[in-house]
Amino acid sequence: MLAYALRRIAATIPVMLIVAFMVFGLLYLAPGDPAAVIAGDQATPAQVQAIRVSLGLDKPFLTRFGTWLWQILHGNLGKSIFTGLPVTTMIAQRLEPTLSLMVFSTLIAIVVAIPLGVLAAARQGSWIDRAVMALAVFGFSTPVFVVGYLLAWAFGLKLGWLPVQGFHPISDGFWRFLRGLILPSVALGLIYIALIARITRATMLEVLSQDYIRTARAKGVGMGRILFVHALKNAAVPIVTVIGSGVALLIGGAVVTESVFAIPGLGRLTTDAILQRDYPVIQGVVLLFSFTYVMVNLIVDLLYTLFDPRIRY
Amino acid sequence: MSATILPDVLPPVVRRGAVWGFLRRHPTAALGAAILVVMVAIAVFAPFLGTVNPIAIDPIHRLEDPSARHWFGTDMLGRDVYSRTLYGARISLGVGFAVALCAAAAGTLVGVSAGFVRLLDGILMRVMDGLMSIPPILLAIALMALTRASVGNVILAISVSEFPRVSRLVRGIVLSLREQPFVEAAIAAGTRTPALIRRHILPNLMAALLVQATFTCASAMITEAILSFIGAGTPPIIPSWGNIMAEGRALWEIKPYIVFFPAVFLSVTVLAVNLLGDGMRDALDPRLAKRL
Repeated sequence: MLAYALRRIAATIPVMLIVAFMVFGLLYLAPGDPAAVIAGDQATPAQVQAIRVSLGLDKPFLTRFGTWLWQILHGNLGKSIFTGLPVTTMIAQRLEPTLSLMVFSTLIAIVVAIPLGVLAAARQGSWIDRAVMALAVFGFSTPVFVVGYLLAWAFGLKLGWLPVQGFHPISDGFWRFLRGLILPSVALGLIYIALIARITRATMLEVLSQDYIRTARAKGVGMGRILFVHALKNAAVPIVTVIGSGVALLIGGAVVTESVFAIPGLGRLTTDAILQRDYPVIQGVVLLFSFTYVMVNLIVDLLYTLFDPRIRY
Repeated sequence: MSATILPDVLPPVVRRGAVWGFLRRHPTAALGAAILVVMVAIAVFAPFLGTVNPIAIDPIHRLEDPSARHWFGTDMLGRDVYSRTLYGARISLGVGFAVALCAAAAGTLVGVSAGFVRLLDGILMRVMDGLMSIPPILLAIALMALTRASVGNVILAISVSEFPRVSRLVRGIVLSLREQPFVEAAIAAGTRTPALIRRHILPNLMAALLVQATFTCASAMITEAILSFIGAGTPPIIPSWGNIMAEGRALWEIKPYIVFFPAVFLSVTVLAVNLLGDGMRDALDPRLAKRL
């Protein structure tokens, strides 16, 4: 187990290196000369050249990549071209809304989707099954901002139950924090619900057709216990895998959801950085999100052995 | 020599009515196909469907509610939302189909290369792993930040973020095909690799590619809309569904119809493509393609 964990952790290193290389290539290929931007309009070519040398921009590509990587490993993501603030500071300021949004969406998705998927599998072919499958197809087909506007229009504008826009940090009080998060999290979570419900149903159908389920029924175990204890436990591995890989959807969706609901998080930071072509910020955010994604999937892989002790590596 | 000499290439088995039979057995896929045909017709015949110039500005008739004259109302510059939405179908469908094609082509190239050239396999697949570690929408956004906004660049950026998944799928199928007796027989019979790929590998990839391309098309249409919506996609001058929604965004609380109509068109089109894809996957092989 420990050897497996170590090997699996080691395997993420080349992947992260490739990601870092590509993200660095992004900055390298970006149009515009950062030295000229920093020097300003009044600078002479000699001054621009001096800045270029001081930033190490005159060095060859691989040397620059090495220096850059070294800085990253020391937690230095560079400075924003526009605000002049360190990118790490800007990310730290925007972390709370995005993190809350993603965690809350994941919770909603898991709590809603797994019971739905189990129920659909238990009553295969019934109206519940069809409704869940229809929900899944709609979830895949409706872009997150469309769901967002629909929810904001219905529950925010027409019914007036929940705020349409904005974010309150948890320090403003838990209730206000929660109220602001409900609509964006549901909007963001819908595609995740579709994904998890679908895989739960498919895996459960497979598990429910196995002999030990029939045995359990024959000896009189209750249906609820069969579904949620005997069967779900054995369906856990594919479900957890999809929850892990679905984080990519969640990250992409967060960028848009934050735009729709005017939430000042990392997604908004990304959008603003794109419009201003603030490459160090774009680079930092892409790196952070990719790192998160790789880490989530690493944890999922490590969890396999916990859910299914038969898995030995 | 009494044995019949088989021709070098056997004519493909023609299954008459295969498409029709498929649509009859899968009514939801048929519905999807029907909607898709209507959408393509709308895109192609947009100029003849009672539209006006979609970028003509008419400041006197700004922000009019839907009426007999402007079926979907007008936006903040007085442009006709109905015309813009219909012309927008061209961008969404065009980007969707183009990305599906590019991603399938690039994915096949990389997947087959990795499956046949041992030396390339490790390198190519590690690079694909790296590309897949960046969430697709984020990768497309980052690529768009590098380039000028144009429809071609949107197609390129989304294709780059979509094709690694296709290459993974193709590589897997190629590796399992290589173990098949008919491929071994072909190799034993002296078939050279290019002919082997053309005659035995590619035809057997088609079913999986078709299903995967359908899902790629659906997700590309959503990604295009997202890119345009946050201002990193199709240039604002070109009416695409994402752009129309981006423009209607500031006013959606008082004039929701500007966002509403393109949103409905987009969702219905993506739904149609997904229904078609689900039907094809069920018909061809339930385990073929994955969405993620």
